[in-house]
Amino acid sequence: MNAAPALLGYAAAVGWVAPRVMLRSSWPHRSPALAATVWIAFAASFSLCVALAALHLATPQAHLHGILYSCQVALGIGPTTGAGAVERVGIAASAVVVAAHVVSFAFHALRARGARNGHRRILDKVGRPSAGLRATVIDHGVPAAYCLPGRRPRIVLSTGAVELLSRAELGAVVEHERAHIACRHHLVLVAAQSFATVFRRLPLARHLREQIPLLLEMAADDRALRSYPHGVLATAMVEMASGGAAPRGTLSAGGPTALVRLRRILGPARCAHPALRGVMAATAVMTPLLPLLLACPPGLG
Amino acid sequence: MRWLGDLEAEILDCLWKWGRPATVREVVDDINTRRPSAYSTVMTVATILYNKGWLTREKQGRAWLYTPVRSREAYSAALMEDALGASEDRPAALAYFVERMTDEEVAALREALRTADRTAE
Repeated sequence: MNAAPALLGYAAAVGWVAPRVMLRSSWPHRSPALAATVWIAFAASFSLCVALAALHLATPQAHLHGILYSCQVALGIGPTTGAGAVERVGIAASAVVVAAHVVSFAFHALRARGARNGHRRILDKVGRPSAGLRATVIDHGVPAAYCLPGRRPRIVLSTGAVELLSRAELGAVVEHERAHIACRHHLVLVAAQSFATVFRRLPLARHLREQIPLLLEMAADDRALRSYPHGVLATAMVEMASGGAAPRGTLSAGGPTALVRLRRILGPARCAHPALRGVMAATAVMTPLLPLLLACPPGLG
Repeated sequence: MRWLGDLEAEILDCLWKWGRPATVREVVDDINTRRPSAYSTVMTVATILYNKGWLTREKQGRAWLYTPVRSREAYSAALMEDALGASEDRPAALAYFVERMTDEEVAALREALRTADRTAE
């Protein structure tokens, strides 16, 4: 049985329908970390579908075991019995899909890391580490707060921010940034960015690129709210947004994300229903696995 | 090599604090008031900073007099410019607490905060 039509149908559902469903739902803003996971799972399953569909189009008789076999043949590590030219095209096509992801991820990750390393080299000489604030303070009147994630992370506050905010508000800001670092949000961002680079015009990629940064901010807000009152974080946001100097988010085309975050912080705290969370967690696990099951039905294996 | 970076920061700190050219001996003496440090190590790191373009130096008698190339404020300003300059790449490199907003957006934020305060009362 050729699974290519099923795979392509599934890819279409994940690539076009799934993002619309996600955007209409209200639960993602209530469980942002889970929602980010579901978006990434959609992206992974879409890529997998496309790669497997390319293989199946070229080798109509094959299922996954056959494919693994022909991979061996193509690489010259298996028994060399007649891998046709068409099969090779299929293998090459799916290899290109996989390679595009790897290259794109590496490109974005290394570029960001290079920018961070250059910044940190100067920061470590110019800034003053403050044990009390758990951050590096730089002499600058304009309020600013940001973090350099990665292996040698830094949280940076300008003296302007230190003067503007109260002690508790600074604590909430630092806690928010610590969440970004601890949860490796920069890697999720790079994954979203590289997926969007590979499938530029795909609705899933477009929406994922906009939604992931916002969801990660919300997840970091939630972490800060574990140790600071809602009002403190909200006031810090308003103060920093009015006095602060940060660039407009280039990824969040959806407009003022701070307002969305603030309304969420001030609104009644409610997590998505546990049953719904369970279903969505299962979705996150199952969507990338389904293409494999389609490509290789256990009955045929 | 974390300590090397720390020493770089410490040497620059001294020179910025004094605001005048200084010899390695003076810097070593200052550091020694807080913790022991070897003259040769500070000398090496000062040379590294010179080679990296952070310090200039001129001979006075047998010793070098070191001066920072730019003020701490100038570096801070450049750093902020780098951090806050809009770039496609920034979102993955740095994470800001909040983005810059227009006046209307800030007004909307304040309004949301006020409304919440009222309902809380």
